[in-house]
Amino acid sequence: MRAARLLPALGLACALLAGPALAQQPAPPPAAGARPALPTPPPPPPPPAAPAVGRPPLVAELSQSRIEITTGFSGTELLVFGATERLLGPGGDDVLVVVQSSPEPMVVRRKTRVLGFWINGASARFRHVPGFYLLTGTRPLRAVLPPEEREAKRLGLDNLPLQAAGTQDPEFRDALMRLKQGARLWYEDEALMQVSGARLFRARIPLPATTDTGDYQVSVLLVRDGRVVARQELDFGVVRVGAAARIADVATGQPVLYGGICVLLAAFAGWLGSVLFRRG
Amino acid sequence: MQVYLPIAEMSVDALLLLGIGFAIGWLSGLFGVGGGFLLTPILILIGIPAPVAVACGANQTLGASVSGLLAQWRRGNVDVRMGLVLLTGGFTGSAAGVQLFDWMRHLGQFDLAVSILYVVVLGSVGGLMVRESVRAILRRRRQAGPTRLHPHFWMHGLPLKLRFRKSRLYISVIPPLLVGFGIGTLSATMGVGGGFMLVPAMIYLLGMPTAVVIGTSLFQVVFVSANVTMLLAVQTGSVDIVLTLLLLTGGVAGAQFGAAMGTRLRGEETRALLGLLVLAVAASLLWGLLSTPASLFAIGPIPT
Repeated sequence: MRAARLLPALGLACALLAGPALAQQPAPPPAAGARPALPTPPPPPPPPAAPAVGRPPLVAELSQSRIEITTGFSGTELLVFGATERLLGPGGDDVLVVVQSSPEPMVVRRKTRVLGFWINGASARFRHVPGFYLLTGTRPLRAVLPPEEREAKRLGLDNLPLQAAGTQDPEFRDALMRLKQGARLWYEDEALMQVSGARLFRARIPLPATTDTGDYQVSVLLVRDGRVVARQELDFGVVRVGAAARIADVATGQPVLYGGICVLLAAFAGWLGSVLFRRG
Repeated sequence: MQVYLPIAEMSVDALLLLGIGFAIGWLSGLFGVGGGFLLTPILILIGIPAPVAVACGANQTLGASVSGLLAQWRRGNVDVRMGLVLLTGGFTGSAAGVQLFDWMRHLGQFDLAVSILYVVVLGSVGGLMVRESVRAILRRRRQAGPTRLHPHFWMHGLPLKLRFRKSRLYISVIPPLLVGFGIGTLSATMGVGGGFMLVPAMIYLLGMPTAVVIGTSLFQVVFVSANVTMLLAVQTGSVDIVLTLLLLTGGVAGAQFGAAMGTRLRGEETRALLGLLVLAVAASLLWGLLSTPASLFAIGPIPT
């Protein structure tokens, strides 16, 4: 069902690129000094200069712009798909997809032993911690971009902006990284990216059952010769719908009413049980 | 079958929750306790955040105790006067407990505090129960009948005496008020109804006859846990009604089977078994505090 929804969109992406791409074909992808800086018109080779202006080097789209968490939600999968102007793959361009949720403040606590008990000791507060961070690409990030570029564009887990307030002990940052990775909430995995026909790419974004509600940013980057030459920003929201949403709304909006309902429902369930199972 | 819990913000297997509910309900029917003291640690164990587990423990205890209370009420085993005195202390205590709950969450020591409270309270209560019931069993074997209804000590010299006809007691209202207050406080911080502490406190401290103890403790538990649910819903917003109802569905069924079995056991034996169970929970929690954790670090949201 998801594939069926996806197909027309992929077709559209193909159509967008097909015409101009044919003309582009003879020009060899390896950059011969002429960096495809977008504002400047392309140098001599292809005579029809007009299409180059309107032709996007990268088109990407999401399979859904809204993930709905219903009462039966047990995780889902989102697709980031699109097409590139030039060929993808060895010797050609690369695509990177970064998905992250809006950063939130988090606290990391270290357990210390006091009188034989393990208790929460020193802590570090991190102001901007994305609850979810996933990076995928046609090749591993290290192979695609040099360290300076990764740092400048803040790409990859190593370059997440994690500045602790207070304690500057790197142990806390490492622990945060380890725990998030252990929970599969932060990871880099190029196995999620698939390329077909050297132009269409498709990245699967698995969202676990514990996915937080909120806004998620998706950055799709086109990389050529160790530089990001184009990027597209997309976003989607994870929202509770149906009964789950109504319950959460009432609980936060009208806590007194909600508390009363909880008390009455629980009491009613108990009473009903005693009636149903009464014997003798 | 996965079900999404709107307040805990996670998906859990519904069958697992029904099963836990059934087991707890069975025990609560057998021993006449709400089962909150077992439920809260189990919920934390399966990954429910501690504040939600505590709030749900209180809410579930309410439902589980209602059916027990109705059954005891029909048999005339509730001392309403004693129940009201306990309840006065209980309401005050639970209001204080909710403040304590909030304060510990801010300190970042909520999980630790809950565990330590459990170990101390369950350990001492369980130990006392086992010791006393073993003695009672031995005494019964020796066929030595007690001469007095209950032993008299300093507590019986306190003022504000009141006659509790059903309990066959003429005592000061101060001890029941204090007992109610203490249990109300623990109820709000541990997510328990307090039946497992109330039952021994009524027997050993107040000297109430076992027959009315269970009904009266359920009376107090129902109202205190309703109060705690309400207060926690308003102050911390951590009550998850979906979680509670799933646990209760299993629980009310289990409670009836437990209650049927409980009538076949003698009072001392029931108390000894309950004591052992309480001790076992305390021991496993203590082990959790003492053993080296898998990760020396924990992450969490900054409490607002």
